[in-house]
Amino acid sequence: MSLVRIRAVMLRHWIVLRRAPHRWFEISFWPVMDVLLWGSVGAYVKQQTPGSQAGTVYLLAGIVMFWTFTQAQFSIALGVNEETWTRNILNVMTTPVKEVEYIVGIALFGLLKLALCLLTLTASTIVFFGFDLSDVGWSVIPIVALLLINGWALALMVVGLVLRFGQSAEILIWGFNYVIMAFSGVMVPSSSLPSGLRIVAQQLPTTRAFAALRAVLDGKPLPWGMLGLSLIGSLVFLAGAIAFSSWLLAVFRKRGFVTRYS
Amino acid sequence: MSAAEPVVALRSVSKRFRDKPAVDSLDLIVGRGDRVALLGPNGAGKTTTLLMLLGAITPDSGTIELVGYRLPHHRTKALSHVGFVAGYLPLPENLKVREALNIFAGFYGLRKPKPVIDAAIDRFGIAHLADQQSRELSSGQRTLVSIVKSTLHQPKLLILDEPTASLDPDVARRVRTALLDIHHEFGTTLLVTSHNMREVETLCERVVIIAHGTVAADGTPNEIATTFNTDDLEDAFLEIAAQSRARGGADDSEGARP
Repeated sequence: MSLVRIRAVMLRHWIVLRRAPHRWFEISFWPVMDVLLWGSVGAYVKQQTPGSQAGTVYLLAGIVMFWTFTQAQFSIALGVNEETWTRNILNVMTTPVKEVEYIVGIALFGLLKLALCLLTLTASTIVFFGFDLSDVGWSVIPIVALLLINGWALALMVVGLVLRFGQSAEILIWGFNYVIMAFSGVMVPSSSLPSGLRIVAQQLPTTRAFAALRAVLDGKPLPWGMLGLSLIGSLVFLAGAIAFSSWLLAVFRKRGFVTRYS
Repeated sequence: MSAAEPVVALRSVSKRFRDKPAVDSLDLIVGRGDRVALLGPNGAGKTTTLLMLLGAITPDSGTIELVGYRLPHHRTKALSHVGFVAGYLPLPENLKVREALNIFAGFYGLRKPKPVIDAAIDRFGIAHLADQQSRELSSGQRTLVSIVKSTLHQPKLLILDEPTASLDPDVARRVRTALLDIHHEFGTTLLVTSHNMREVETLCERVVIIAHGTVAADGTPNEIATTFNTDDLEDAFLEIAAQSRARGGADDSEGARP
């Protein structure tokens, strides 16, 4: 891998972000709106049922971590789509940039966007609801790491589908995110799901990551066993996503789909 | 790569889209420093051939070597020595020209691109465009910037797909002059597709005409005109296109496309 080429990918996306005010919405506007929405729901629940655990803390911590996952996903999925939207993909494909270098470049740049997003989220949860996730301490780091892996894996799957099926598959960038949100017990335990759907939730590595988050919020030690299982599931998901997107990239080249964007 | 090694070597390369042949057992060897035009009626397989050469489309069969490297395994090494310009491709939006050049210099692995970019901007006389947004450029300006972008790394091979399509004659001449300058100064091999026969005769010493995805004629413009018993290259091209249609072959609507 070439650091020069990876740096060039990062620079390309930094300039795009700087020049496009609407791109800041996914870093600041939507996350803050989510904080306001779910924070107020949590505050209301707490008013109605004092002592309930499913109050502001669960909801706000869940939304902060959900945006961690989302930023990881968006960084890769929207990064690749930037090249299709601007018909630049053939320009990139005819340079020496390797697919892995491109993905690493946008994933690393995504970490910068994630840092900005987390700063915004933390500031808004403190200002609006007096909740500071950093009070949890370092315990949150392994949970963040798991969500990053899952976000990247989901993004690779979506990128593969967009390469294969074109613009009609772009909706999956946002759609799959909400599937994960619905099934992973982001804000409340997955046991709250309808019974038939709990089986699906149990299979997702993200479900264990969010469950571990709630354990930490309850003042319990990090459930390492649960995190270990989540890590295994996450790595399997990532390996599968790499294989899946590599296969669809080969199909993209085989069928000449690059001409869709030229 | 030794001087004797071909810069482009396609051997028995075939490609079909939806069971229609786009390229059919094509053999094409281009030597170092050559200036070669790849011509053919619309849908004859020119762009598919170029995109296979660049590793963007995988052939069904056959072998491709680019600047001495076998594709697809050594795609990155090969493309480090190749530039690609297409008249129909935009530059990335939201970038100023200098920024786009800086990013592509990085894609080509240049560690200190600024002096290279400054020199290239001077050479092509585009200093007045350097701080303009890419999307604000005219077609001619965009093509010139694309050529600058694709030659920052002094490639051994420059592949140009209809570089002067939709340009006015004055800008087209400037583009041709720029390409010949690059060829003379760096010994860059040029592989060009075009529908402008006059341009081809100015720019290229060898012409390969493909029809039905295979080579229909190969030689200097004069040799091809002589072979087809015509006055010039354009008439020879028209003759080949007519033969191609008679065979039920390629034109705008019938060429095999992905």
